[in-house]
Amino acid sequence: MLFLFAVIMAALLLFLMVFFVIMFSDLECDYINPIDLCNKLNQFVLPEMGAHAFLFFMFLINGSWLAMILNLPLVVYNIQKVTANRHMYDATEIFRTLSQHKKECFFKLGFYLVMFFYFLYRMIVALIAADS
Amino acid sequence: MNGYGRPPFQQQQQQPFPGFRPGYQQPMHQQQQPGYRPSPTMMHQQPLPRPAFSPAQRPQQLPPQAFAPRPGMVPPGARPPAPQPINGTPFQQQPQQQRPPQSPMTNTMPPRPLAGPGQPPSPMRPPMGYQQAGPLPTPGMAPSPQGIQPSPQAAGLPPMQQPPQPSPMQQPQQQQQQQQQQNPVQPQPGLQQPGQQQPLVQQQTPIASANQATTPEQQQPDQQQQQGDQAHQQRRKRMYPKQVFMEDTNASGNFAAPVSAAATPAYPQMQQPQQLQQPQQPQQPQFMSPMGAAPTYPGSQQPAQQPAAHPQAIQSMTNQMGQMNLGGAPAQPMPSVSLMGAPPPVNELVNLCPPIRLPQNVSITNSPFANCDESYKCCTVNAIPNTEALLKKSRLPFALVLAPYRSLDDNEEPVPVVSDSVISRCRRCRTYINPFVTFVEGGQRWKCNMCFLLNDVPAAFDYDAHSQKQTDRWKRPELNYGTVEFVAPTEYMVRPPQAPAFVFVLDVSYSAVQSGMLATAARTLLDTLERIPNDENRTSIGIITVDSALHFYNFDDSLEDPQMLVVADVEDIDAVKVLLEKLPDMFRDTTNVNNALGPALQAAHKMLAPYGGKIICLQSTLPNIGTGALKSREDVKLLGTPKESTLLNPASPFYKSFAVDCSRSQIACDMLIFGGQYADVATLSCLPHYTGGQTYYYPGFNASRTEDALKFAHEFSELLSEQIGLEAVIRIRASRGLRMNAFHGNFFIRSTDLLALPNVPRDQNYCVEVVIEDDLKTPTVCFQTALLHTSCTGERRIRVVTLCLPVSNSIPELYANINPKAMISYLANKAVERALSSKLDDARDAVVNKLVDLLGVYKAHVLGSAQGSTPQLTIPENLKLLPLLALALIKHDGLRQSSQIPTDMRANAMNLLRTMPLQLLIPYLHANFYSLHNMPPEAGELTEQGLVFPPVLNLTAERIEAHGCYLLENGQHIYLWVGRGVVPQLCMDLFDAANYEALRGGKYTLPVLDTPLNRKVNLLIGKIREMRRGDYYPTLYLVKEDGDPYLKIWFLSHLIEDRTENVMSYQQFLQFIKDRVGSGSF
Repeated sequence: MLFLFAVIMAALLLFLMVFFVIMFSDLECDYINPIDLCNKLNQFVLPEMGAHAFLFFMFLINGSWLAMILNLPLVVYNIQKVTANRHMYDATEIFRTLSQHKKECFFKLGFYLVMFFYFLYRMIVALIAADS
Repeated sequence: MNGYGRPPFQQQQQQPFPGFRPGYQQPMHQQQQPGYRPSPTMMHQQPLPRPAFSPAQRPQQLPPQAFAPRPGMVPPGARPPAPQPINGTPFQQQPQQQRPPQSPMTNTMPPRPLAGPGQPPSPMRPPMGYQQAGPLPTPGMAPSPQGIQPSPQAAGLPPMQQPPQPSPMQQPQQQQQQQQQQNPVQPQPGLQQPGQQQPLVQQQTPIASANQATTPEQQQPDQQQQQGDQAHQQRRKRMYPKQVFMEDTNASGNFAAPVSAAATPAYPQMQQPQQLQQPQQPQQPQFMSPMGAAPTYPGSQQPAQQPAAHPQAIQSMTNQMGQMNLGGAPAQPMPSVSLMGAPPPVNELVNLCPPIRLPQNVSITNSPFANCDESYKCCTVNAIPNTEALLKKSRLPFALVLAPYRSLDDNEEPVPVVSDSVISRCRRCRTYINPFVTFVEGGQRWKCNMCFLLNDVPAAFDYDAHSQKQTDRWKRPELNYGTVEFVAPTEYMVRPPQAPAFVFVLDVSYSAVQSGMLATAARTLLDTLERIPNDENRTSIGIITVDSALHFYNFDDSLEDPQMLVVADVEDIDAVKVLLEKLPDMFRDTTNVNNALGPALQAAHKMLAPYGGKIICLQSTLPNIGTGALKSREDVKLLGTPKESTLLNPASPFYKSFAVDCSRSQIACDMLIFGGQYADVATLSCLPHYTGGQTYYYPGFNASRTEDALKFAHEFSELLSEQIGLEAVIRIRASRGLRMNAFHGNFFIRSTDLLALPNVPRDQNYCVEVVIEDDLKTPTVCFQTALLHTSCTGERRIRVVTLCLPVSNSIPELYANINPKAMISYLANKAVERALSSKLDDARDAVVNKLVDLLGVYKAHVLGSAQGSTPQLTIPENLKLLPLLALALIKHDGLRQSSQIPTDMRANAMNLLRTMPLQLLIPYLHANFYSLHNMPPEAGELTEQGLVFPPVLNLTAERIEAHGCYLLENGQHIYLWVGRGVVPQLCMDLFDAANYEALRGGKYTLPVLDTPLNRKVNLLIGKIREMRRGDYYPTLYLVKEDGDPYLKIWFLSHLIEDRTENVMSYQQFLQFIKDRVGSGSF
């Protein structure tokens, strides 16, 4: 059951990342101004990190060690960013750091995609195990 | 000449100051840091401009009177929501006793010994009288009136050959004009024999006509004489674009070939092949139409433009072109100079920049003003590398330095205005029509010089709606001037042009009242009310005073006294005056030490948000209540350590996010910060930084000192009366293949290439980094800055500044075209950015590394010498002062390695480095140093050329004689240094003091006396205070040789050629650079 939940969460995070990437390319094409962009994206930054941390926590108490270890680096990275107060997008700096942000988003996108399939696989394995 | 010279018996006193011993110490920056280079980033299609913020936000019209109570605002009688009464809450009691320091340096500096151990005893006062003979030449050190003697090394080299100045612009212009007048629309003018000059019938522009004072007949012999002289140069010049093109297609890399073994290193391959080719193909590459068309390039040439059908015409035309001398001098080899062992020739600091050498006829009208003036916009390199690879290889920083809205000098013509609102722009890239476009198809269409798209010429382009007549197209200002202003029609408005509106947020806390800031500010405001731009009686003013609570004022006519606590509605200026007169008394006995700046700003924002305008904050106390409260975070232990940059970054995110809100509602903020104690300039200057405002900092302000009050009053009143631009955006376009990559300055970047400025101050500098995305195939490229703004008179205007630069494919030519002033401005911007994002060490290293890079590439690719140590540091002539300026930059208050510069001072210095236009920046980095006691007789006298300044001295303590009196100024401060052995007569004449002991150091006002010396020095000081742009009013300090140690150290820190603290002297710096270059570690 845990992995069913994880699959849904991973899918949500995946969509969120796609949304981020779309917004960044909108900014580059001047379809949105940086103030709106930052206001919009900043709403989602903490929920995204929280969802991921929650998922991590679920693996931890469930004892799914491999899934936990896979997710550990991102959790650590997120915590680092929050403690250094770098997690929010700054409208005044966004154009200087845009390439960095985009790179990070693509990386996260890939990560969630891999995780999605991994969780799917684990879910199917768990279902088969439950059937038999 | 007044003889204040050294008495002869004082010879033994000739010693440099202790602590300034020359001699090489260990190098400071050992490890190699990668300099900053533009990195290739993603290709990016430039979108069409869109209205920046959605028009739906601003539906309502602006009523003429602002601040009338309306739904969005707090109703009269109500307190604004934000501030709560906080009087009862306990607050930190801050030590309020301000001790006005003697100097703007705070007292954190340990006292330093005034005189070193080896200092000889103070000499007796010379008994010589006033009328003694002139200064005796002392070996080696006496500042000679002629300035600096050339060193033997420098003298051994061939002297710099000044490129021949373009002969008076009249002749070519005249010819061109005639062609154009005969064929106003036809792009290919008829044949015209070179000799057949006709008198000028019509005059093109007022400026041009001023130049055409002499009659054409008078000019003819002169011109014919020049023909012979210049024929071969001109022919070579004509080959240039073709040459570039051929080089480009053949082998773009062959510039790396060993350049020459000869002594003159500069671009030989540019010349020699050309000269060789000359006889064989006398007119092959001359595909130039008089419209300035480029040579044929694949895809860029339109068939309609092909002039090959008339070979005869071209023959005679090109002959004619050959006699014109326009577009700058032909490329001359830039001689190189050696630097080591000689003092830098500081007197050449004023004109350093190489001229822009454009190919002939690149502008359609050949107007001498086709390219914008350097002060509006210039580039770090006056020749653009044609490929990204070449730019990388040359390691040149590629950036534009611009001050598009600079103020005009007294003797300058105003920027020409196109008032018929016929604005022709390229359909694709939105470039404004400019002198570098070409007309094709019989003048029906024009070809964009940026993207080469053909655009229709608007029907009204040749038509004057007023007189209902056809007009001469070639007289249109946008085809003649690099800097023009268009009056914009309604398409360029999101809403009706806003009226200027000012809200003053005045600090009335204890320190503001005690220092006299409030009284001075109120007085100045009162006096300046009439000068605030208010051409149509639309300007509105609001006043908020703030301590721990906010006070608003009702300026209702019916009330006799202004009533507090009511939102302002200013229609009647008299009420404001009454308030301003009463303001100091109202708060005279305040003991409130708190300041709620954040809520005050929010309230001001609320007042201004529907219209836009300007908030001017006068801040004397650190804001410590409500939103945006700050703590006194300065930690002396952090100064001079890598952690120092944390203090230079904003402490609270409020000021950044508030600035973004302001920028969105077209509100600018100016900050005037008065520091008795720590005032957190770094955080407060965020507001001006992102809203296009300015920060002024008055350390240790005390209005009871007239000098302080005068400086503040002058700057405040200049700031208020400045003709600012409102609700502005800046966009910079460039030829295809170039892209603006990064922006530095006071604005908010609203889109990848759009800068938003709620207000444009007059004299602010912006720096824009450029990257090359595609190979440049044209012989020239253009940069166009468009500044869309509302003038103070309520007119929407577009100021267009166009700069055209040649493209080059050879590193020697690039190096000969470096503009050292723009370069140093770019380096200063980058260094400040680096210091804030990383640490100050990195910033200094970045400057040094860039310099080493440049000189290393010059050595390897231009001089062609092998790696390894050479006895000399050789540098192109135009860069000979770049090492000095770079040294000045790393020794500047903003970047110097020191644990004694308070954070506020540093933050302010960084702000100034980032925003000062070149004219101010260069003296701010490298101060001007004059000797007063032995001025030549003509110095300080008013002549036809203006006031004559004494010769500039090198910035070294060696130049200081014990009996001397010196003046040093950097545009922000003026120092009068008085040596301890000064002749009493000089004290009498200059200061009205009996002798040296009677003088008192510190801030000083020079008395007006009836002596020649005093008159001259007063004239000089007055001239220094008014000769530059900007609002700054330098304060005069009197520095005694054995006076206040802080002040003395501060003065000596401007002498950048000396070794100060642990930073290298000039010669050590050169040695260090040379070693780095020699070791190949660049």
